[in-house]
Amino acid sequence: MNSATKTTDANALTDQAGVAEALRTAHQAKLPVFPIGGQTSLEYGGALSADDRQLDLTGLSKIVDYTPRDMTIVVEAGVRMDDLASTLAAERQHLPIDVPRAAEATIGGVTATNWTGPRRLGHGSMRDYVIGIHAVDGRGIAFKSGGRVVKNVAGYDFCKLLTGSLGTLGVITQLALKVKPQPECSATVIANCQELAVAETILARLVNLAATPIAIDLLVGTAWYQEAFAGKSDSTATLVVRVEGTQAEAEWMAEHVQYEFWQGGAAGAQLLPPPIADCLWSYQIEFADRGATTKHDEASLVLKIAVPPSAILATIDDLRSHDPACTIQAHAASGILVARFAQFSPADISRVLVGKLRPATIARGGCLTVLATKLEGLSPHILWGGRTDATILMERIKQQFDPHNILNPGRFVY
Amino acid sequence: MTAICDQATFVDALRAIVGTEAVLDAQSELLVYECDAFLLEKHLPQVAVLPQSAQEVARIVKLCTLHSIPFMPRGAGTSLAGGGAPVGGGVIIVLTRMKAILEVNLRDRYAVVEPGVVNAILNRHLANTGYHYAPDPSSQGACTIGGNVGTNAGGPHTLKYGVTANHVLGLEIVTAEGEIVRLGGPAEDSTGLDLVGTIVGSEGTLAVVTKIRVRLTRNPQGCRTMLAVFDSIDAATQAISSIIGAGIIPAALEMMDQGIIVAVEEAFHFGFPLDAEAVLIIEVDGLEADLDAQRDRVAELCREQHAREVRFAKDAKERLQLWKARKQAFGAIGRLSPSFCTQDGVVPRTKLPQILKRIREIGLKHDIRIVNVFHAGDGNLHPILLFDERRPEEVIRVLAASEEILNECIDCGGSVTGEHGIGLEKINFMTRLFSEDDVEVMKRLRIALNPHGLLTPGKMLPTAGACGMEQIHPGRRAAL
Repeated sequence: MNSATKTTDANALTDQAGVAEALRTAHQAKLPVFPIGGQTSLEYGGALSADDRQLDLTGLSKIVDYTPRDMTIVVEAGVRMDDLASTLAAERQHLPIDVPRAAEATIGGVTATNWTGPRRLGHGSMRDYVIGIHAVDGRGIAFKSGGRVVKNVAGYDFCKLLTGSLGTLGVITQLALKVKPQPECSATVIANCQELAVAETILARLVNLAATPIAIDLLVGTAWYQEAFAGKSDSTATLVVRVEGTQAEAEWMAEHVQYEFWQGGAAGAQLLPPPIADCLWSYQIEFADRGATTKHDEASLVLKIAVPPSAILATIDDLRSHDPACTIQAHAASGILVARFAQFSPADISRVLVGKLRPATIARGGCLTVLATKLEGLSPHILWGGRTDATILMERIKQQFDPHNILNPGRFVY
Repeated sequence: MTAICDQATFVDALRAIVGTEAVLDAQSELLVYECDAFLLEKHLPQVAVLPQSAQEVARIVKLCTLHSIPFMPRGAGTSLAGGGAPVGGGVIIVLTRMKAILEVNLRDRYAVVEPGVVNAILNRHLANTGYHYAPDPSSQGACTIGGNVGTNAGGPHTLKYGVTANHVLGLEIVTAEGEIVRLGGPAEDSTGLDLVGTIVGSEGTLAVVTKIRVRLTRNPQGCRTMLAVFDSIDAATQAISSIIGAGIIPAALEMMDQGIIVAVEEAFHFGFPLDAEAVLIIEVDGLEADLDAQRDRVAELCREQHAREVRFAKDAKERLQLWKARKQAFGAIGRLSPSFCTQDGVVPRTKLPQILKRIREIGLKHDIRIVNVFHAGDGNLHPILLFDERRPEEVIRVLAASEEILNECIDCGGSVTGEHGIGLEKINFMTRLFSEDDVEVMKRLRIALNPHGLLTPGKMLPTAGACGMEQIHPGRRAAL
């Protein structure tokens, strides 16, 4: 996701007052503003064009307050994910949200995109961690909600409203986050599935495991076997299950996951040695951004599909029937998958994406969005899907927060 | 928009929607709806209506909108902050007849329920499935899931499992203008803004919820419950800090102070030590493989902080007894005084010793007896102020003490409500917690979804210019 133009303002903003000032000016002049952080998700919701006015928030990079014993941290929006992680790691704590390119990505951007990865199954998503938020609305008015305590129901929950709002309601300037203690250890168990039906059997069995694994990924597509598995396997699909906990817990889980694999009919279930598990893990984290390769697969189209977990295999079948070579990472027990297509022709956008994949997803109770694409000129309708009953409510909120539609115009459902 | 009609015609129109017996308009029938468990402020509705479907709710809302009559939803009325009182009268939409459990899907880990389903009934329904619905407010035997959504309810086990907002996947709502809209769904991350997360905890001011899709949680394989007895509150709070600091997140970590221990002991005879200043009820859960080790580690940390004694619940029966003591603590208060007011402050965990000391001082200053039973692991306090409702000057002292406690919570970097809501009771604290601009932006959200202000008026947000008015009760004047 690195094709959009990057123009960084020489006078980078360093505090909320500066952001408010910039937005007041933009509001008066009715000029659009595109807030940016680490620029790792610029294509999400429609790429920026060269002359778009970017509001660079990476200068808001302070860790404001960290009280490890409260397990909360207050940070400015421009703090990089890696910096946040190392601050927390010093106290054996972490924010268990998986983000590609964590050295660049900022906590503000991750919150605005509600970025999610494999560990969502065990740890939830950003919306479960943001306990306080400061932002500036489309009129340049600074506002906040929540606080820095883990339980708080005073006033409306803008933490939820702004998380995943792609900077269209307000520019996030500061966040209070709940964090967790790092697990004592983790273990990764994998198994090959020559047929997808085997994967379905195993997934249904894993649901009833006495404890929920932290991640269950189903990796599909030949691209996975070239680098991530170092050519050592050539299965149709591989199930990767990661467990966490104390040593006794992780051992128990790893053993029982292997048993379920065996019972479900998978071949070659094995506990990965830690260095190999860590290497595979980095591919799992980075996949949405670059594909199953350390270079970049230059995919023509990257889709995110969310369905009920029981519909994940049917969804994978649909994707492969269009392109058997597509590469898929399914967070199978969360019902979320990312699919990368090397070739996706403009004609297939209407025929396949709009005509088949999206309706099938909606019929399953889910939704399909375009994460990134090399195809030009896709409308919000194509990127996000058509209007629903809820769209009008979202538009009304947008109108109240950003009456001149200056915040990230054209980047979202409205 | 407005059509002129008299009460009789309006009531007839409601009866045409829901049937004659589902509309109550005699004053004697309406008294039960004039307040919730916050007894200090009462408002009589003009009509109570008990619909049985979202379609009926939508038609009621449209009728109210047409006649510019305020309306609000209500569950079991267990709210402690006045969120259930119909300010300005109007129509109270009682959702307790919508109590069907519509679907349980274990493969996709969700259940779909109507708003009137009682929290404990859902969990009883799930018994033997290996799953449960995690939020467990102390009133779970009576409170409804719809009401839990309204207040974003918590409970003892939210320390590990999270509050209601973390367990709601989707909603069906009737908008303030009477449209039925589905939000979220069986799949996560539905396209667009997180309206589900925005509506959970909005205290019925943004929509009437008519269906809830809740996430189901796998039952832990086992649990270990223990009681740690301390000679000082400070030592008990230090132990909490040590446990969390050691990277252990218990399923629950509750504190009871001496006042409540005595009341509970008189009521239930559990054998609690009457001379202890504080006890902690601590529960760890998860895989059996490690539970004994976790239990022993927690006990060791408590002893390091000078716990006089750590007792393990030997079996399921002893565990249930401990939880009964905790959950029925409020019932035991009746033995201490004719009336009580439960507060709901939150502070960062590390400020617990400081706030508990201040609560003691505030009680002495106002000559009000205060006992504490609360979710210590979350820093969520429930100081209980004991008084006699029949003595007006005592009521005034209780209100003054409550206000002082909550202000102290704010000064500690906390909040005035962790799980009960702002309701009516705490409206005046909103401007202490938030700036004028913050409140203004909150009002804009309300205008977006509740444009005529007819849905649940008088709650959560203060009006401008309410300062300087005589405050008989904390929180009186509200926006919209």
